[in-house]
Amino acid sequence: MNIRMIPKKWAMQEGGLLAVIAILCLFLTFASDTIVVQGSAVNNFLRIDNIVPNVLTPVSWMAIMAIGVTCVIISGGIDISVGSIFGCSALSTVAVLQNLPSDASPWVALPLALAVSLGVGGACGMLNGLLIVGLRMHPFIVTLGTMSVLRGIALIAVEAKSLPSLGKALPAAFTSGCISAQMQTGPLAWARLQPVPLLILVFALVAAAVYLTRTPSGRELYAVGGNAEAARFSGLAVGWITARVYMLSGLSAGLAGMISAGYYGSANTATGEGYELAVIAAAVVGGASLSGGSGTALGAVLGALVIKLIENGIDILKSVDLGFVTVVVSKEYSKIIIGFAIIAAVAIDRFSETLKRR
Amino acid sequence: MIEFRGISKSFGGVVALREVSVSVRRGECHAFMGENGAGKSTLGKILAGIHRPDAGTVVIDGRAVRFASPRDALRAGIGMVPQELAFYPDLTVAENVCVGRYPRRAGFFLDRAAMDRRARTLLERIGSDIDPAARMRVLSTARQQLVQIASALGAGATILVFDEPTSSLSENESRRLRAVIADLKKKDVTILYISHRMEEVFELADRLSVLRDGALVLTTERGATTPDAIVRCMIGRALTASLAVAPTGAAGAELLRVVSLAPGGSAQPVSFTLRAGEILGVAGLVGSGRSELVRALFGLDARASGSVVVGGATLRPHSVRHAKRAGLALVPEDRRREGLALSLSCMHNFSVTSLHTLRRGGLLDRRRERARARAHFDALAIKAPSLDAPVEHLSGGNQQKVVLAKWLACAPRVLLVDEPTRGIDIGAKQAIHTLLSDLARQGLGIIIVSSELPELLALSHRVLVLREGAVVADVPTGAATQESLLRLMAGL
Repeated sequence: MNIRMIPKKWAMQEGGLLAVIAILCLFLTFASDTIVVQGSAVNNFLRIDNIVPNVLTPVSWMAIMAIGVTCVIISGGIDISVGSIFGCSALSTVAVLQNLPSDASPWVALPLALAVSLGVGGACGMLNGLLIVGLRMHPFIVTLGTMSVLRGIALIAVEAKSLPSLGKALPAAFTSGCISAQMQTGPLAWARLQPVPLLILVFALVAAAVYLTRTPSGRELYAVGGNAEAARFSGLAVGWITARVYMLSGLSAGLAGMISAGYYGSANTATGEGYELAVIAAAVVGGASLSGGSGTALGAVLGALVIKLIENGIDILKSVDLGFVTVVVSKEYSKIIIGFAIIAAVAIDRFSETLKRR
Repeated sequence: MIEFRGISKSFGGVVALREVSVSVRRGECHAFMGENGAGKSTLGKILAGIHRPDAGTVVIDGRAVRFASPRDALRAGIGMVPQELAFYPDLTVAENVCVGRYPRRAGFFLDRAAMDRRARTLLERIGSDIDPAARMRVLSTARQQLVQIASALGAGATILVFDEPTSSLSENESRRLRAVIADLKKKDVTILYISHRMEEVFELADRLSVLRDGALVLTTERGATTPDAIVRCMIGRALTASLAVAPTGAAGAELLRVVSLAPGGSAQPVSFTLRAGEILGVAGLVGSGRSELVRALFGLDARASGSVVVGGATLRPHSVRHAKRAGLALVPEDRRREGLALSLSCMHNFSVTSLHTLRRGGLLDRRRERARARAHFDALAIKAPSLDAPVEHLSGGNQQKVVLAKWLACAPRVLLVDEPTRGIDIGAKQAIHTLLSDLARQGLGIIIVSSELPELLALSHRVLVLREGAVVADVPTGAATQESLLRLMAGL
């Protein structure tokens, strides 16, 4: 078969990630125990009850955030406030929707949820963008600041630490009727899929991929990230392009927050804490270079999947028998393993770059 | 004695030095002169350990040396005061003077008092009273330079290389610096003085050497020559055949009018006009404000004052986008820093100026984009592995053509080109020359900034000569020679 059927670049970057994901899945399948569920023996990793609720569904909001952060990284910046924006968006969505009657129409509940989450996310992102461009400050500093400020606002605004408030609940049209709805009928009913978060992810992925590769303003991100000075010399509105991309990242974190709120039916002041690291890791593992000018939407999604699979593996594996020695895995190791995985992923990427150049 | 024996050096195919053999006596001040790009700085940098020669050796007091780094050279007593000063702006003067040799107490703690004392002593040696506790950042360029001299002396330098030390100094500061250098010479410091300023050289130097196109053409005692002879020697070459592109015919209507345009930082307003089909050359020494002028024209200088009128319409000041819309285009001086995003593909780099014209229904028309890139790349004969290859894989000449192509895609009326052929091979150079005169023949107005006088003389109809930010002459090319231009540039 002609190898050129697959675009060269695609084969290098995303193909490598798919291979990593396949290897991870194989490894987890062989390394995990067989457990007995309702009388039948199943693999602890490769079972519907693990894959769908523990990997596929939660990866959807993480991947959406990773897409937004990838756009920022492509433009040569960084956004570490996404975890806090995610939290604010989830809390705001719950705070507003809990006031609807529990049998509210989906035609009211869903647009309202979207408007609140995107409004909060977009506003937070715009704040980041304006501060970075207006004050000519480094994005790391600005988003480090807003990360803390936004989390602080959430802590003050929600006295009970958690929403919905006592005696209130989110309308079913938003939660079990939509975001956390499970497929009960149809040919895929056996998979017990919760399709809505995944559908939103697919929509976000397609939209971002089109934006990045097929619109002038998406391409401007690569130009600014590749060489901001050359972009200025080329007459691009570097300030506006930069401000815009932080708003985009805020919007995606807002959307992700809404999905999480609808899925869990609640949010608390710690929602999204620490997510920024997992999300940036996903973007970087997905091939975005922190020096700017490279990265793809699909890479961000696959990168998020890699991180989520590692997290899941640490959750379900109790011990790994390597033949000569048995390694006991406990949850306490998760940060160490994920940290090394990020470093390894980027190191391998750099190494293959060097090889390609020779 | 410092002997350069058969030194050759090239940078990516561009020859900077060609078998240069010259010796500098201990205790003398030896000036190295030549046009921009003649190789004089490279020679100084080889001695100071910044570059390593491709061939030849440097022999100091009978021993061959090969420095791996400036630190290595300093250990052998050679210090350099580079044109672009290198220092730590947020450290104090004393810390800068003593950097790398901080005095210690108890073998570990920094001895600030000793450091300040040492800095003060060294600065006094060169007759300066700069406060050792001052931050480097707040000092004037002239004083920063003195700190660098003190630092080199503190490291035990007995040979000092000065690279165009007065290029960014005022006349007064320059005179003071020359006094310092004359004084150093009395203290048996050997000085290599790289400059193209005639009066300074004839004031300071005991002997002088002239470089041209990377080769040594003359070494002489100061008394045995005259400024006139040196100027002739610096130019020396006849117009090469490749450059003899005949200037195009009569110029058309006025395209561009520049009224009292003053780039930020220079108080000298500049006014001139450009006609359709005309090529205007801009000549001047390094630091004369050539690049600053075209940048201000293109709206890149936020502090510029004055106005630019293109085809009757006055440009909004400080707006590149507006300049671009009015039909201006700038091929910048430093293509790697200002012209291209090196890691991005050829096509991405090409399209960046014209993305908005490639829209179809809000989306980018990628087929048209590719076709247009293909057409422009073919028209300029750009050699690239593919349109999707990173532009950094292209040679310098082809990279420069990509920058030209991305601006020609905007169909400009006035093209500003800053050093269009710097560091590119002769073939690409000739192609760019032909392209520029063809474009003028098609009615574009072109402004060329160049350090190469033959290039300016061959291509342009008129030459604007700048000195210290001011226009000192606006002459038709027919009435100019390299010699007359160089005199105007140097203010002789």
